[in-house]
Amino acid sequence: MSWIILIILIVLAVVAVSLYNRILTLENRFENAWSQIDVQLKKRNDLIPNLVETVKGYASHEKEVFDRVAKSREKMLQAGNVPERAEAANEMTSALRSVFAIAENYPDLKASENFRVLQEELSAIESKIAYARQFYNDAVLQYNNAIETFPGVLVASLLNKREQVYLEIPETERQAPQVSFS
Amino acid sequence: MSTTSANNTRLPDVITDGTGRRINLLDYKAHNIRASWVLMIVTFGLLAALGYGVARAYDPALAVVGVAIAASVALLQNVGAYWFSDRLMLRVANAREATTDEHRYLVNITEAVAIGAGIPAPKLYVIDSPALNAFATGRTPEHAAVAVTTGLIDKLDRQELEGVVAHELAHIKNYDMLFTTLVGATLGALILLRDLVLHSMRYGRRGSSSGNSKGQGVVTIVLLVLLIITPILATLIHFAVSRRREYLADVTGAYITRNPEGLASALEKIATHHAPELKVSESVKHLFFTNPTKKLNARNWFATHPPIEERIARLRRL
Repeated sequence: MSWIILIILIVLAVVAVSLYNRILTLENRFENAWSQIDVQLKKRNDLIPNLVETVKGYASHEKEVFDRVAKSREKMLQAGNVPERAEAANEMTSALRSVFAIAENYPDLKASENFRVLQEELSAIESKIAYARQFYNDAVLQYNNAIETFPGVLVASLLNKREQVYLEIPETERQAPQVSFS
Repeated sequence: MSTTSANNTRLPDVITDGTGRRINLLDYKAHNIRASWVLMIVTFGLLAALGYGVARAYDPALAVVGVAIAASVALLQNVGAYWFSDRLMLRVANAREATTDEHRYLVNITEAVAIGAGIPAPKLYVIDSPALNAFATGRTPEHAAVAVTTGLIDKLDRQELEGVVAHELAHIKNYDMLFTTLVGATLGALILLRDLVLHSMRYGRRGSSSGNSKGQGVVTIVLLVLLIITPILATLIHFAVSRRREYLADVTGAYITRNPEGLASALEKIATHHAPELKVSESVKHLFFTNPTKKLNARNWFATHPPIEERIARLRRL
């Protein structure tokens, strides 16, 4: 009799450990996914002064746009936690969009090599952010599923693991898809 | 600015294949690694058995030697394939390393799609050719490389190129190359063994001809037939696996970009594009995005890839 109890206990322990491992793996996955996004956000923020200088050289009186970019950049630098940074990032995306929109009115600017390189770089970063966000949301979905369904939920509630929120796609990206600058 | 195709539309991550089997796209890697182990063990066993049989048919005392030879051939083939196949493949395809300066566009796209696939960005190579093609190689995501023809970079737009790159990254993510390379090595070993036996029968002819029993003659014939049939059978299985795997990589690629249309449209361009065929060895053609020989993209036993039209149709049904 005691043998059977022992075997049951061992099986339960093995199951609990593997559930625990799975939850931690998934947690690491979305945390890494976030750091992927953050790396790109930092890179983008670093390119902004350069972009503003370049555009100012051709379109110095578009003050409104520059203010908007400067504000978003400031906000980005101050944002601490994930939701704040995500929101600041979305604002920055739409601010940059307006920079590239006004560039359309300045042929000399558009033709400048410096601007073209910046544009390709920023557009690549934008694309990486989009993919990283997608991967993050996938990872969060897997994590949430793991901690909310049986039997993971038993272990998760012991560890006090909470459901994670998805990153929203900025409104501007939903409305204006596929504008090619190439 | 958002020229990328990534967005948050959900595509099914579990699909049903032609036979009604459910395939989890996010977990296909585990399936492939398991299959690779099984394949390695089976090859090993098969070759050892063949070696034993062949050696015994000549001289029972040599049986152990036969096993040893066959086993070491199998081991060498597998280990060799595991370590060197990527470099060999890049050499054979005449690929040169892509630099950020020259191919910034390709580098950026690949880095982005790799983030979406959740694997490190592979090393990038280009093949100077007007043909439209690509391939992936390397045993694990950490050692992976993707090569793309310059024609492909010129002719495809961003979403299409993202689609093709995503298809290749899907092969990497799924550990397809590990499995494919092992299949290739197994096939190589079988052919080697066959040739060895045929050769020795022609010139050696010792032992069995003196015929101490009828049984031995029968064994020899059965062995011979087996030796000739196995490589053919293995080739056919290899092609069948390859065709299935292309569909899977298409679906996984579409899942990574969330944009089946990019890949479908790339396939369409490739189907209607007229350029001289990419000149590569017969033995590596199955590793490409579409088989460089157009008629080997078909629905028959000897095709390595499914018909392009069928791939497009399946993508558009997603």
